[in-house]
Formats: sequence, structure tokens, C-alpha cells
Amino acid sequence: MNKLTLLFTGIFLTFGSAWVGLVAYPVANLGQMQPLPNEETGGVNPPTVSGLAIAGQKVYAANGCMECHTQQVRPDPFSTDIAKQLGKRQTVPRDEIREHTPFLGEYRIGQDLSNYGARQTDAAAIHRHLYSPTSVTPWSNMPSYSYLYEYRKIVSQPSAHAIQGLTGSRAPKPGYEVVPTQQAEALVAYLLSLNQNYPLPESPEPTAK
Amino acid sequence: MSNDQSSQPDTLNSAERATIDSSVAAPVILFFGTAIFWLLFGSVFELISAIKLVWPCFLDGCALLTYGRTSVVSVNALAFGWATPAAIGIGLWLTARLCRVELARYKSLLAAGIIWNIGTFVGVAGIFVGDNTSISHLNFPGYATHILLLAFILIAVWAIVTFNHRKSGPLYVSQWFLVAGFFSFPWLYATASQLLVWNPIQASAQPAIAAWFAGGFFNLWLAPMGLAAAFYLIPKAVGRQINSNHLSLVAFWSLLLFGAWSGTSRLIGGPLPAWMVSVGVAASVMMIIPALAVALNLHFTLDGHYAAMSWSPALRFTITGVSMLVFTWVFTAINSLPAVSSVTNFSDITRALNLLGYYGFFSMTAFGAIYYIVPRLTGKEWPSSCLISWHFWLATTGVLLAVSVLILGGLIQGFALHDIGVTFRSSMDFIFPFRFVAALAALLIVCANLAFALVFAGLHWSLRRPGTAPALIAVREENSQEPVAV
Repeated sequence: MNKLTLLFTGIFLTFGSAWVGLVAYPVANLGQMQPLPNEETGGVNPPTVSGLAIAGQKVYAANGCMECHTQQVRPDPFSTDIAKQLGKRQTVPRDEIREHTPFLGEYRIGQDLSNYGARQTDAAAIHRHLYSPTSVTPWSNMPSYSYLYEYRKIVSQPSAHAIQGLTGSRAPKPGYEVVPTQQAEALVAYLLSLNQNYPLPESPEPTAK
Repeated sequence: MSNDQSSQPDTLNSAERATIDSSVAAPVILFFGTAIFWLLFGSVFELISAIKLVWPCFLDGCALLTYGRTSVVSVNALAFGWATPAAIGIGLWLTARLCRVELARYKSLLAAGIIWNIGTFVGVAGIFVGDNTSISHLNFPGYATHILLLAFILIAVWAIVTFNHRKSGPLYVSQWFLVAGFFSFPWLYATASQLLVWNPIQASAQPAIAAWFAGGFFNLWLAPMGLAAAFYLIPKAVGRQINSNHLSLVAFWSLLLFGAWSGTSRLIGGPLPAWMVSVGVAASVMMIIPALAVALNLHFTLDGHYAAMSWSPALRFTITGVSMLVFTWVFTAINSLPAVSSVTNFSDITRALNLLGYYGFFSMTAFGAIYYIVPRLTGKEWPSSCLISWHFWLATTGVLLAVSVLILGGLIQGFALHDIGVTFRSSMDFIFPFRFVAALAALLIVCANLAFALVFAGLHWSLRRPGTAPALIAVREENSQEPVAV
């Protein structure tokens, strides 16, 4: 192999083949997916989410939540995700279209979050968990996101947004309160929006065996 | 042994070599020196993250030091602060030597080195303040990616010019790998940045592209650059030719073809068309071919000359590094079989394989290359053979310990995650002791990197008079027929 042009052409073709298959093909075929109309509600599947939840995607990315949490339900036989009730059906490309970046994740250091909003519908409970995970789940290895909250002295009236029912070492002392910042509110709105319990024709729910 | 000329590294005389070496000295030392800073920085954050995994209260409740940022900072500082500049430094030196031309206009390369480090600094700072994109290996915010690409364009232009001015003759195997690496990296990085970071396309199309980038970053950028160094240093150091030109050809083309397609295997069962995953799994399994071709070729080149490993730091690090590359590819092939990955996916085995590939292979090979190159650029010898020996043993022990405990623990964790009857909490309890040992191993790696940084700094502060003998890590046997090769 003595000619630079020959070498270069070979590299171009091998590299280019993968580029066509794994970059150009998805851009052309998966890059313009539309939500499907939902005849029951008159809305669409996947349902549209609030602006606050979309802002929460940025908070989720900024704090590296993806380092520990996956967001993908895989079908049998590649996994037991559905039997473990992480979701009722496999995650497909159309589930991702509301996201700015798909947070698929590589590790399950913490639980899968694809359907977190279906399991947990109480915003205050999520705030308590984010502020002090071990006060909710003693064996949790999740770090505290207390920096997304403001710990402050109650002046005249307690805030209507303050988190209620905090226990454990991070609980506010009498006369103090813990108030979510805008980032924490956005993150919780995003977590509540994580729910793939809507039908998509390309991802039927597997029938029970 | 093949008689083809392209299996000979080069036929320069020592005066020509010295002229070429001194012409690249300034930019190469700049890339290596800054890379070593980021190596230390990244490995300290890797240690912090490893401690946080076993003890979540460690440095808790601080936005800058939350696990989600420290682990991302360590991966990206190591990938773009250490590995990539080290690969560039090795690539510049090898290109000049193998093209047999003196380096002209090295100021553009100095500028590239400075711009690159500004880009890395901005990117790391961006992650700390919360602009992480959360795309694996592309976590730097868009404003930093622009700076990095600008720096790389300067380097690519220089590489093209140098290859065009090369003295005629057959292209040596290292040059194939250099061309492949210098060509792949900007294409990979520009495509992925444009489609995922700057003007992201719809998220439904992103997973395949992100996986293509992550696979390509290792298999088409770091692996070719590391192998370019290995295919030059190993025959040089033992004074032999590469055993088989045919095996080199097989290794090169199979790596390019299968490496380019291998990335999607990690997304098995994920939200992308099934054929993409099937192709990725097939390509990952086929990576056995370059693994065997590299292993056999270098083994037959070294056969009967392995003794040189005992005194030459360059050879010892390079051979260790390449062996770990072979294991990385073999383990990744096994790990991507659907029957295996249904259990191991999302477990700490992924951490183990990343560590084996990035540190075990690339960093070790780059250490070997730096030990070989820098004395030739500066005319000074390494100050302490004892520290080099410490560096080697700490690094090897650290990486092998971490990889073995994480594979073992990852298997147990994987079965726990897979088994319907086992709770998630149990998977955490099972992996805990293994993560604890992995954190200790991360400490060994930090110490190894510190030893390396000290040796490198010692050489530049001239702790040893010029003209002294090379720093050998063991006494050469008197009756040895080996050429002096440090």
C-alpha cells in the first residue's frame, strides 16, 4: 500500500459507509417524526408537555442525572424491564420527540426513570426526595440536590411554595423553611412529565404469557 | 519476515533524525505538557467520583461537586484534555519522522495547542457551571466545541501539507493509522457537534449518531493513534521489522470497517431501528479480527526479544498498552452478544471496559510513546528510573484491579438487575464492595499519574545533567545482543 490516494479513498469509503448508515439514514428517516393524533382525548401521542417541563430538561442535563439514571424500557428478550414494571411497553424513537437530547443513559446506578411520572405523581414528594434522598429512602445512594433549594429564615409569612414534611438531618430548624428555586420547580415538572403510558402503534404492549 | 519496504519504520541517519526531531520539539512538548496537567486533573475527579459512588455524602450538597458533574468532568477532561492532545503530540512527531520532512511553520501548531487548551478549559468550566449537554463524550457546551474544532483544523491542515511534502517511498504501517486518525477525528467531531450540540436534530434520530460518535472516538481516533505509535516504537526498540505486512493490512482495514460500525451495539433493545443494533453487534464481534491480527503481528515481531521490556520503559508501557487493547476488543465482543448484554447492560461492566480501553490501552501506550519521544526532542534523559518504575506498577496494578473488580461486581449487579425476583436495592448492595475496591484502584491511578507528572517535570527542570546515560528501569544484561533502546 504505497499510494496515499489509494489509502485515502479506502478510508473515505469505509468511514463513509458507516456515516451514511448511522448518521445520514437516521437524519433522513427518524429526524422528522410527528406525534400521532389521539382519538380519545383529541390531543396527540406523545402528549405535549408544559414549558416548565421543557425547561426542566436543561436542569436534568446540567446536573448529570443521566450519569446514574437510564430512560429506556427495552423489550424481551434483551431485558426483563417490562416484567420488572419499569414500563408497559418498549421505548421507541417517537417517545423521544419532545426531548432536546434523549437521556437514554448507560448506567443503572439509580432506577430507570422512563415512567417515573407514572409511579410518582406527588410533586412535594419529589421535592423531598431531591432535597434529602436519605430522609425518604434510607438506603438511597443518591446525592442531595439541596443546592437547588433555598434554605431561609421565615420572615412574617411562611412561603406557600415551601416544602412540607421534611425530616432527617437536612430538615429546617423551627423558624426556617426550604423553598424550591425555579430550577427545582422545572426539574420536578420534567420528572412528572416522564410517562410513556400512551399507546403507539409501533410499540404494542406485550400480551401476558 | 516480509521483505516489503513498508515494514521498515525509517532509514534516516541520526543527524537527519535529530534535525527533524528538533523542528517539532516545541509544539509536541506543548501538547504533552498540557495533556499531563489534564491527566492529573481528570484522574483526581475520577477519584472523587469513585468515592462518591461508595459514600454519597462525600462533598455533598455543592452544585459544582455533585456526582453528575464530577464524573462528566473527569471523562471529558481525560478524553479532550489528556487523550486527544497526547494523540496529537504523538501524531505530529510520527508524521514528521515518517514523512522525513522538517517541520515548517510550527507557530501555527503552537497556536493550535494553545487554542485547544483554551477550548478544553472553557468546556470543563461550562460543565461545572451547568452547561453540560448530557451526551456521552460530547458533554462540552457548544461554545467550547467550536474552539476545539478550530484548533484541530490548524493541525489537520499542517498534517495534509506535511504528507504532501513527504519524501517519496512506501508508506509505513504507522502512516496508514495516522492518516486514518487525522481524517476520522474531525469528521466524527464536526458531524456529531453539528447534529447533536449546535443545531440538534429531533431527538428521535440522535441515539444512533451519539453511539456512532462514541464508538468512533475510541476505535477510529484513539486506537489508530495508539497503534501508530506501537507499530513504530516496538520494531524500533528491538531493532527488527514488523513481522508481516499482510497481517498489518488485515488489522488496519478490519479496524476501520468494523470500528466505524461498532458503536451501536451498546444500544441493544434501545429506541432505534433494530438493524442498526444488529450491525453494531456484528461489527463489535468482528473486532476480534483486528485484535488477533495486531496481537499476532506484534508478538511475532517481538518473539525472542521480550527481554527488552525489562529495561526499556517505552517498550514496557507500549506492550502493556497494546495487550490491553486486545483484551478491550475481545471483552467488548463478548459483552455485545445479546445473550450477555441482556444481563450486563447498564451495569458497572461498562465502566470496566471504558477504563480498560481509555486508560489500560490508550494512556499506557501514550506513556510509552512519551517516554520514547521526549528525550529525543530535548536531548535530556529522564531524571529517575525509580519513579518510572513506580509509575508503571501503580498504573498497571490500578487499572487491572479496577477492571477485574468492576467486571466481577458488574456481573453480579447485572444478574441482580436482570432477575425479576431481586430488588433494585439488592443490586446496589451487591456492587458496593466492588465499587469500594475500585475507588482504591482510582487512588493508585492518581498516584501513578502523579509519578509520571513528576518525572516529566523533572526532565524539564534538568534534574539530571545532559549527556548522562539513558534511564533504564533495570540493568541491561551484559551479554545481551539487544540494541540500546530506551
